[in-house]
Amino acid sequence: MAMGVVRNALRVVCYPPVPLPARRPLSTLALALIPRAVALNLALGAVVGALKLPVYLDSVGTILVAVLAGPWAGIVTGIVSNSVLGLLVSPALFAFIPVAIVIGWLAGVAGTLGAFRSLAGSIAAGLVIGVAAALASAVIVIALMGGLTASGTGLLTIAIRATFGVSVDSAAKIAAVVTDALDKPLSCVLVYLVLERLPRRLGARFRRAAA
Amino acid sequence: MTSALDRWNPLTPLAAAIALVLVAFAGPQPWTPAAVLALSLAIALASGIGGKVTVLTLLVVVPTFALLVLLDAAFPEPAAETRWIPSRAGTLDALGVIVVGVAPRRLTRALAARGLPAWAAYLVIASLEAVPDARRRAEDVLDAQRCRGVAVGKGTGVRGRLRALPALAGPLIVGLVIESEERALALDARAFDARGKRTALAPIADPIGEIWARRVIWLALAAAIAWRFWEFAHSLVIAQVSRS
Repeated sequence: MAMGVVRNALRVVCYPPVPLPARRPLSTLALALIPRAVALNLALGAVVGALKLPVYLDSVGTILVAVLAGPWAGIVTGIVSNSVLGLLVSPALFAFIPVAIVIGWLAGVAGTLGAFRSLAGSIAAGLVIGVAAALASAVIVIALMGGLTASGTGLLTIAIRATFGVSVDSAAKIAAVVTDALDKPLSCVLVYLVLERLPRRLGARFRRAAA
Repeated sequence: MTSALDRWNPLTPLAAAIALVLVAFAGPQPWTPAAVLALSLAIALASGIGGKVTVLTLLVVVPTFALLVLLDAAFPEPAAETRWIPSRAGTLDALGVIVVGVAPRRLTRALAARGLPAWAAYLVIASLEAVPDARRRAEDVLDAQRCRGVAVGKGTGVRGRLRALPALAGPLIVGLVIESEERALALDARAFDARGKRTALAPIADPIGEIWARRVIWLALAAAIAWRFWEFAHSLVIAQVSRS
């Protein structure tokens, strides 16, 4: 019997080492979630359109991935999301990839710090993300488009300039802050509400995979 | 969508588009972007996607031009640089659509053949495929919640519509997250993590002529940027001399 144990032990020891998976910065779970989050960024437009709300909610998927799978996953989601938007909607959106990176990274950091454990924390995170995204977006709009975009924000820029008499650049910054200060906290609250309803087992799986 | 650009290796139109965009921004304004716009539209027309490119270009240029007219009406002297917006935006859009003229799937596969990691290629292709499905699902959720009495649209105040938002967006988001777990299991089962070189089922041809064409494009771009830097440095020296 003793000999049999030794023979079995030898067999175990002699197995070739299990090959390690290819190195990549994201877990399989995050990889599976990111395409759905990108699609969500685009699909929520239908919901917002039906409700006729003055917001975009085009970063909910990015924020959700960042909170569930960490800042790197958030950054990747932002890049892929704007690239796909650029391919499907308008190539001008490629220019706003840095804004999506800022949103993904900040949302990931906020998630790591536990901001999404409470409603107040989510709103605060949304405000910080909103201001940072607005500044990044204003810099791009001013540098590439002279301060005006063919959207509601462009009209708001003109309205601010007409009302307060500020320059186009300043009006563009104010308009971006106003729209993002409303949009991003609402996006973060939506993510918070979803996280509350998500099965705990799934949330724990994401945290384990991201660790 | 198929176009004449599909006959090329996707990396060649991509290289041309990147080079033209950079030249449009680095060259003298506003003539360079206007010339690039004309050139890109000519390429689009020759490739059989001229109609779509023109429509998409107009979609960017017309609203921007309308905003400029509004700005002109409100203020007698708008910022001078805003007058260049239409040509810049049009250039970006026209070139971008040339890139779109190449099927995104082919472009991603060509990039993967040149070393783009498999996971990155998967993200782009899976995202493109997930979009129509998510849109359809959003419509389904909207219809289902309307049937259950969730008030949507006119006659509902902003507060009421905000209250309806979680009811409409919540099931959509939770459904997509739960589905991603199943997809992760499927990816693991298909050895997505496996190491080693992957063999393409339908490799994209990269003829030697196109390889050289791309090299010429990159060299020309480098020369144009170097010339621009030299011109800038020269103007600084002249300014210094005239001051002293």
